[in-house]
Amino acid sequence: MANEFPFEISPMFEGERVRKDDMFVELAGPKSRGFELVKAAGLDEIEDGRFTLIGPDISQMQEGSRHPYAMIYRIAGKLVEPDLEAIVERRNHDFQNYIQGYMHLNQRYDVWVRINKDAIKKGLKSFEQIAKATMMLFKNELPFIEKIEAIYVTEPEEVEKQRAEAIKIYEARDARTRGLHDEDVDVFYGCTLCQSFAPTNVCVVTPDRISLCGAINWFDGRAAAKVDPEGPQFAIPKGEIIDEKGGEYSGVNEKAVALSGGEYSRIKIHSFFEYPHTSCGCFEVVGFYVPEVDGIGWVDRDFSGNAPNGLAFSTMAGQTGGGKQIIGFLGVGVNYFRSPKFIQADGGWNRVVWMPKNLREKIKADIPQELVDKLPTEEDVSDLKSLKDYLEKKQHPVTKLWKKEEASAEAESSDGDASQAGAPAWSVPAPAMNLPAGMPMMPPMQLGGGEGVKIVLKNAKITIDRIVLKGKEK
Amino acid sequence: MIIKKGSFVIEGLDNVQINIGKIVEPGQESIIEGPTPRPEIISLRNWDYRILDRYHPVYTPTSDTCDYCTYGKCDLTGNKEGACGIDLESQSAREALKTAIMGAACHSAHGRHLLNYLIRKYGEDHPIDVGPSNLKAPLTETIMGLQPKTIGDFLPVLEYVEEQLTQLTASINTGQEGAAIDFESKALHAGMLDLLGMEVADIIQISCLNMPRAEENTPMAEIGMGILDSRKPVVICVGHNIAAPAYILDYMDRDGLFDKIEIAGLCCTAHDMTRYNKTAKIIGSMSKELKYIRSGIPDVLVTDEQCVRADILKEAKKLFIPVIATNEKITYGLPDRSNDPVDAIVDDLVSGKQAGALILDLEKVGELIPKLAMKIGPIRKARGITALPDDAEFKRLVSKCTKCLQCTRDCPQSLPISDAMAAAVSGDLSKFEELHDKCVGCGRCDYSCPVDIPVLNVIEKAAQRVIREEKGKVRIGRGQIGDPEIREEGRNLVLGTTPGVLAFVGCGNYPDGTKDVYDVVEEMLQRSYIIISSGCAAMDIGMYKDKEGKTLYERYPGRFIKGNLLNTGSCVSNAHIAATTIKVASIFAGRKTKGNWEEIADYVLNRVGAAGVAWGAYSQKAFAIATGCNRLGIPVVAGPHGTKYRRAFIGKPYRKDEWNVLDARDGSTINVEPAPEHLMITAETKEEMMPLIAKLCFRPSDNSLGRAIKLTHYIELSEKYLKKMPDDWHIYVRSEADLPVAKREQLMKLLEEKGWKIDWEKKKITEGPLRKVDVSFQPTNVPRLCKEAKK
Repeated sequence: MANEFPFEISPMFEGERVRKDDMFVELAGPKSRGFELVKAAGLDEIEDGRFTLIGPDISQMQEGSRHPYAMIYRIAGKLVEPDLEAIVERRNHDFQNYIQGYMHLNQRYDVWVRINKDAIKKGLKSFEQIAKATMMLFKNELPFIEKIEAIYVTEPEEVEKQRAEAIKIYEARDARTRGLHDEDVDVFYGCTLCQSFAPTNVCVVTPDRISLCGAINWFDGRAAAKVDPEGPQFAIPKGEIIDEKGGEYSGVNEKAVALSGGEYSRIKIHSFFEYPHTSCGCFEVVGFYVPEVDGIGWVDRDFSGNAPNGLAFSTMAGQTGGGKQIIGFLGVGVNYFRSPKFIQADGGWNRVVWMPKNLREKIKADIPQELVDKLPTEEDVSDLKSLKDYLEKKQHPVTKLWKKEEASAEAESSDGDASQAGAPAWSVPAPAMNLPAGMPMMPPMQLGGGEGVKIVLKNAKITIDRIVLKGKEK
Repeated sequence: MIIKKGSFVIEGLDNVQINIGKIVEPGQESIIEGPTPRPEIISLRNWDYRILDRYHPVYTPTSDTCDYCTYGKCDLTGNKEGACGIDLESQSAREALKTAIMGAACHSAHGRHLLNYLIRKYGEDHPIDVGPSNLKAPLTETIMGLQPKTIGDFLPVLEYVEEQLTQLTASINTGQEGAAIDFESKALHAGMLDLLGMEVADIIQISCLNMPRAEENTPMAEIGMGILDSRKPVVICVGHNIAAPAYILDYMDRDGLFDKIEIAGLCCTAHDMTRYNKTAKIIGSMSKELKYIRSGIPDVLVTDEQCVRADILKEAKKLFIPVIATNEKITYGLPDRSNDPVDAIVDDLVSGKQAGALILDLEKVGELIPKLAMKIGPIRKARGITALPDDAEFKRLVSKCTKCLQCTRDCPQSLPISDAMAAAVSGDLSKFEELHDKCVGCGRCDYSCPVDIPVLNVIEKAAQRVIREEKGKVRIGRGQIGDPEIREEGRNLVLGTTPGVLAFVGCGNYPDGTKDVYDVVEEMLQRSYIIISSGCAAMDIGMYKDKEGKTLYERYPGRFIKGNLLNTGSCVSNAHIAATTIKVASIFAGRKTKGNWEEIADYVLNRVGAAGVAWGAYSQKAFAIATGCNRLGIPVVAGPHGTKYRRAFIGKPYRKDEWNVLDARDGSTINVEPAPEHLMITAETKEEMMPLIAKLCFRPSDNSLGRAIKLTHYIELSEKYLKKMPDDWHIYVRSEADLPVAKREQLMKLLEEKGWKIDWEKKKITEGPLRKVDVSFQPTNVPRLCKEAKK
């Protein structure tokens, strides 16, 4: 096919690295300065396809030199809004890496670009060619961008000046992301991308809950739904609040029925025990109920040992995925630990009783400070007994539930308050049902030939292919 | 009462005998589950028919007569029936079944040998340990409907395989099965049994012999004809079965002999030796057997089973290399010395009294080989024994060539040998050096030369410079793909950043040299395909280096993630590649695996963008593996020699009604694009193969992200290697979102030229595609899996 650019554009070049010896020029990066920024603008403010360069062009640069580098795109369209800027901006990395001989690393003010000598030999001589290709890709992939223009800056002082502005914008954006919660929006987004593999899975993406795979946040969902409202990501109007703490909404439930093919009809977004969110299979961490301490443990994919219940990640994950609503296990992305609504229906962090050390380190900043030391890892406990002792010794908040449980058991009546954290936990039989082999739970069974049984056989010849001993006490 | 295995009589009971076959401890119950556990020949016939209705068996018989029985031989040309009533189509299908049975028997017999041996050594209760996985034996579970916990649990599995293979073999006899389609259904059954036999073999050796357990960063092993220090005594193990080499490696380890003796393997034994002891080395595939023996470097040859040349003893004898056969299947007429003292055997071999020995006591083999090597090595080195000509003789031989081209006609690869001879006369060896890479080392040229030039020896002599530099690296076989890796990769598969999973497997009968495999794998790795390899192909991938001196294994990591290069291990480790698709169905869709072959295969066929490439497939085993993969819904491409398997499964896109699938949500019929287009097909050249394998990764369930990336690579590979747009790219476009992002506008123009309607304002396709994209579409070929049917 004809190509208007002197370079190939293909996802094939995504992983391409430009080494120092092959490099014609280095832009931004750790030894220089730069940034990339996408800004929304009005339709009449932009001349579609315009390119402006402030500073020297590629042809004016010396081989082996290094320069500051800023890429600013202004986008406009009827559906374009500031909330989409960050999403569009992140794609600059993807698209620019499609360009053969052009390496783009990192994002925002950490960008690092190299152009290799071969690209120059093949005819790359101006940033205009790079910008035009990038803008073409933006418009192809994100049709809500009706107009786009690019301003590239290589003039050092100008880069510095604009960079200070850009940093303010990033900060404001981050503040907005952090400050945006489920209660602040009217729509959530559904993602069914993984139904190509997990036919009944529906991910509900809310400001306080990133998709399970970690790839789609609320803003991504919003952008994708604008590109194609009938596509795999779509708006879910919240509808009526059914359970605010658990995160149950009538709109979400309606969608759940339709998209799971009727497999399930209720989802509580921030609940572990009641109508939990489904998992496809990509989840990074699996939560597991530990009935012995009435708490929830979490084990991540990279942890190869056994959790205190004697089971490994892969075993428990095997119970969890496949787009099914499983009570007693829950798959989540690491980012969900950062949500302020993290399993809030079940007591949130107060209910967390174990996780591997590496995982705890990774998310330490998001664990309530007073709990970090009360949360044991594989270094502190090895089995259920030592887990229980540890929690008791450290006065982990979950121990308060134990007392309550004892009390309510004596009273022999449930308080009936479903929103009360932990209250329904004991009454859920499913976790035990789902625990795989290895957990002692089957009642011991008497086998033929046991005491007190008299058998009289005459003229018999018995051939037993195999005898299965169940629950023989060791 | 104490219950134990065996039979016993209860005193006091009158004439009562109770036999107990097996005791299962608590928590170890293997409950047989699923719709088709332990499928009989007929149990999965409906599924076979479903795929055969779409993927038509196409026959390329090498013989149009049948001479199976004494009625014959019968001429089957022109639709004539033979004396028994069979026609050429059925006879060809019968050949396919026979080939698949042979292959399946090989792997299963290998598994049986290992199982008996490992049970003797480790006991039936030795636990299965394959690494971090919930589904530990996916094929066993899917076929048998049970979850094995100990190696003893595989006993009934192999019994099942053996019984089924006997049933299938019986159906080949004259006067048995008569319909081609049922021969093919039976061949698919044999292929499935092959996968099962391989899984058993590899899981038990991983579990007992401490081979890597789904490890991503296994160490590198050296590979190539130039890696050994030929001044030391050299032991070469040839074949596929680790049992004997393990003893040799243990003995050498114990006595600290790794500095004194070089030990390496030829063919898959080599993989398993490195998995067992990372000090071991790899010479290469079966193609290297004759070449390496003729070099005279080996001082002792140890054979076990499969892919061992029939003339090893004959060749070795000429060069005073003793051959120790260690497996009942290959005995070469050698005297059985299993019960003789080691020193006596060594004496007889060193003195030349005997050319080799059959020794089935493997412990004895372990002790004998190092001793023999230490003794005979120095003697052979002193005599400088080699089959290769010296410089003067070489000159004389090449000048003898009359350019009659008989060697080229007999050569499986039609190599231009006489051109290389002519160039060598004037001192230019470069053409021979090229031939060395392309030559599969079969030795047929030796017999074809009318002036008695030992052609293979001449090639090898001329290629000494490149052989000395033949030093590559192979990442040691990792075993299975662990569940956590698959979970992590799920995101890439869904988001389309991984365009597909390609298995590069099979043997070394390449049409144009081993370098092709390297080139193709490099291209597909750059395109972020996951490459999983095993067996001889895994070796050949590691034979070449880039300009920085790095092999592909050193350049690309070994995790199951986009753009990575994995080696599962030996031939029997192939099972793990197929098994990975079962894991995908289990992990992401929660499909029940136990005894549920049809549903799993249906999922794989419609959803998992995986394809196999057996570019140099030569053996019946490779055919069996491919056929097993086909039954699981995985398409396979073979190299041009694959046509000599005489049967392909070809889809016909122009027959629209053969591409109907059901939507499991409501049972409605949807006409879909031909994806995957074929189940078993050959390609002529690597240029043709690359776009083809990209195309075979399309699946009806692709979301737009996935389809766009798959289409990108299909189009780009076609343009790059065939210099044209593929003829059928537009068939795979369901909406504008399916189009490669970098060429969206250009492609929309092309679609408009084809008569499609485009709304340029909205940049949308409004008319043209076969169907709409619907990510929730649940394609299936099995009516009972539809919602309506369930009610």
